[in-house]
Amino acid sequence: MSAHLRPRPIGGPLLDRAMITLLALFGIAEGVITWRFIAGIGAVSNMNDGYAWGIWEPVNVVVFTGIGAGAYSVGLLCYLLNRGQYHPLVRPAVLLGAISYSLGGASIIVALGRPWNMFWLALPPMWNLSSVLLEVAVCVIAYVLVLWVEMLPAVLDGAAESPSPIRSAWGKRWGARLARAMPYIIALAMLLPTMHQSSLGGLMIVAGPKLHPLWHTPLLPLLALVSCLSMGLGAVVVLTALMRHAWNAKHDHDLLVDVCRVNGGLLILFAGLRFADLASSGKLELLTVPDFFLIFFVLEMALFLVPAFMFLTRRVEDQRVRVLGGALAVLSGALWRVDAFLTCYNAGESFRYWPSWGEISVTVGMVAIGVALFITVSRLLPVVVVQDTPVPASLAAFVLSGMPRRDRAEPGKKGRSVEPTG
Amino acid sequence: MRPSRRSFLKGALLAGTAAALPHPALGREEKEPEPEAVGMLYDSTLCLGCGGCVAACKESNSLPYEGEPKELDCTAKNVVKTRHLSKPAADGATQAFVKRQCMHCVDPSCVSVCMLGALHKEGEGKRDSGGERRGTGIVLWDKELCLGCRYCQIACAYSIPKFEWKKAVPRIVKCELCRHRAVEGASGPQRVANPACCEVCPTGAVIYGRRADLLAEARRRRAGDPARYDAKIFGETDAGGTQVLYLAAAGVSFRDLGFPTMPPKAPAHLSETVSHAPYLHGLTPIALYAAAAAIIRRNRRKADEHARRSKDPR
Repeated sequence: MSAHLRPRPIGGPLLDRAMITLLALFGIAEGVITWRFIAGIGAVSNMNDGYAWGIWEPVNVVVFTGIGAGAYSVGLLCYLLNRGQYHPLVRPAVLLGAISYSLGGASIIVALGRPWNMFWLALPPMWNLSSVLLEVAVCVIAYVLVLWVEMLPAVLDGAAESPSPIRSAWGKRWGARLARAMPYIIALAMLLPTMHQSSLGGLMIVAGPKLHPLWHTPLLPLLALVSCLSMGLGAVVVLTALMRHAWNAKHDHDLLVDVCRVNGGLLILFAGLRFADLASSGKLELLTVPDFFLIFFVLEMALFLVPAFMFLTRRVEDQRVRVLGGALAVLSGALWRVDAFLTCYNAGESFRYWPSWGEISVTVGMVAIGVALFITVSRLLPVVVVQDTPVPASLAAFVLSGMPRRDRAEPGKKGRSVEPTG
Repeated sequence: MRPSRRSFLKGALLAGTAAALPHPALGREEKEPEPEAVGMLYDSTLCLGCGGCVAACKESNSLPYEGEPKELDCTAKNVVKTRHLSKPAADGATQAFVKRQCMHCVDPSCVSVCMLGALHKEGEGKRDSGGERRGTGIVLWDKELCLGCRYCQIACAYSIPKFEWKKAVPRIVKCELCRHRAVEGASGPQRVANPACCEVCPTGAVIYGRRADLLAEARRRRAGDPARYDAKIFGETDAGGTQVLYLAAAGVSFRDLGFPTMPPKAPAHLSETVSHAPYLHGLTPIALYAAAAAIIRRNRRKADEHARRSKDPR
């Protein structure tokens, strides 16, 4: 691989105005979370015995991990289908995944009523293997670890290119060792999401009597799996455009067109599966009942089919179309997930639910800290493949990174044109 | 190096196959009521709606009494509701009473979904929370194993488990059939539990006993006075059956009494079958992992060779 295709730290100020805003939003969430641990979940949320998961589970876990599945879907394309050209997308996608999944996991801990009992999860004999949520929990915890291990090459590459000879030697040695183990870690990174993304969908099968029949189907696990691939690829396309805009990140037109075409197929597959399932279980007549649920069904289908047509026609050549389509693909999967977990779930006549400001602020804070983490890690570690011209450095970057680097201290001087190490 | 990896993959596949072999059935079997399972029979036609059972429940379970509760919540494990009927009963009544508490399902969703088995059938959990006997079918909650995830609340079709929303150390609250009031040395069902609601009921509208006896009693009442009772005994077969059984007045639908329309099989049965079948008892994940690792390794080797070849001419 030539040097210009290698990821580089973006550099730049760690604490700019955007970062301060993001941290402030997270600070509000932290305040709410603190109060939640003092006064109980009901003190900050509108969750109730009917809508016991509020928005934290459907959005912070089920939607965040759908977006984080970008790591999974790009990994499948790159490693299993051997499309090496997807490589520049892998590190940003894995970082997106690691952050999304970690925040999903963090949200779970906030939402758990008795998180101190979590230590039992380390004891497999205590597992209730009938529980779909247990499968999700164990698998997601394992996958979060795998994702951060997948990020280690970026840390080690960063160290390998450090001016300090000791750090550099250390980075090179462990980088080479990790490279040998990587196929087995990547295989795990392909297996675990297959398991827990389908299980995430499977969570709602048991709630059959409470879930609207248009959403309740034994096909929920398969639909969730297809939807995470589509959401993940959509998120990566949007992310790539954002990184190009902000950091002049490399932007391979043909590659992104390919990604979008694959995504078009996935969106069609999802819609097809849903209709086939409704037809085979005799539920199509429910589509003639003009009610609240039909509106959401039609909205979902529109959100699935519009980006599919954008991606499968020649419009896909236009970057704006790809970004809009990618965003719609994320939105469609997100809406389907929230519908199945919340909107079209009916706890019974005596329950009402609308998220409280406290709940919303935690969700917003989690998104904010996710964005902040992505920016910070990309500034410090080689994650993103940059087009060319180096980005000016700042004093803040120098101080906060804790490791002085020549190219930061002397803006304009070209750094890190090191040959590949392994 | 290579042979050892290959043998590892082979070994993994063999282990997976071996794990899969002893269990031929992929779907989970349907659960039958235990012969000694205990429960309650509630006869809506006998209930006066006096609320004595609600007060007795609160007192026996040390729950605060602040007026008659309208719905189950974390301070009410038992409630008597007055239901307005969508069409009058056979005797012309426009409303009916119904007592609600945990149904102690034969195949409970809450037990199926509970991550560590905090909610479990007595004596069938991951650990003994104290003096548990197998076979009663009572659904218990073990506070040491509960993560407070509230999947039980999502899963329970009857919306029975309640959560202490305003507490930093919250519990799941639901009827445990007054297992703590069991009469030591008694013979029969009182030996395992003794629900306060049944003890206090002035008309015998709710009685406690072995499920099999209660079902026989319900059928006897229905056969003895078919004009009085609705033909359906709720809980006899609904969603795999419940250990608390209900009789309603003739012409009163259980839907009007606030019960959900349940599928014939337990939701847990469908959920576990769908979720477990693709795993083939662990074979699928092992096979997928082995295949993924093999493909990734092969692709990596090809890419390396390609890189070497393109470098050589230089």
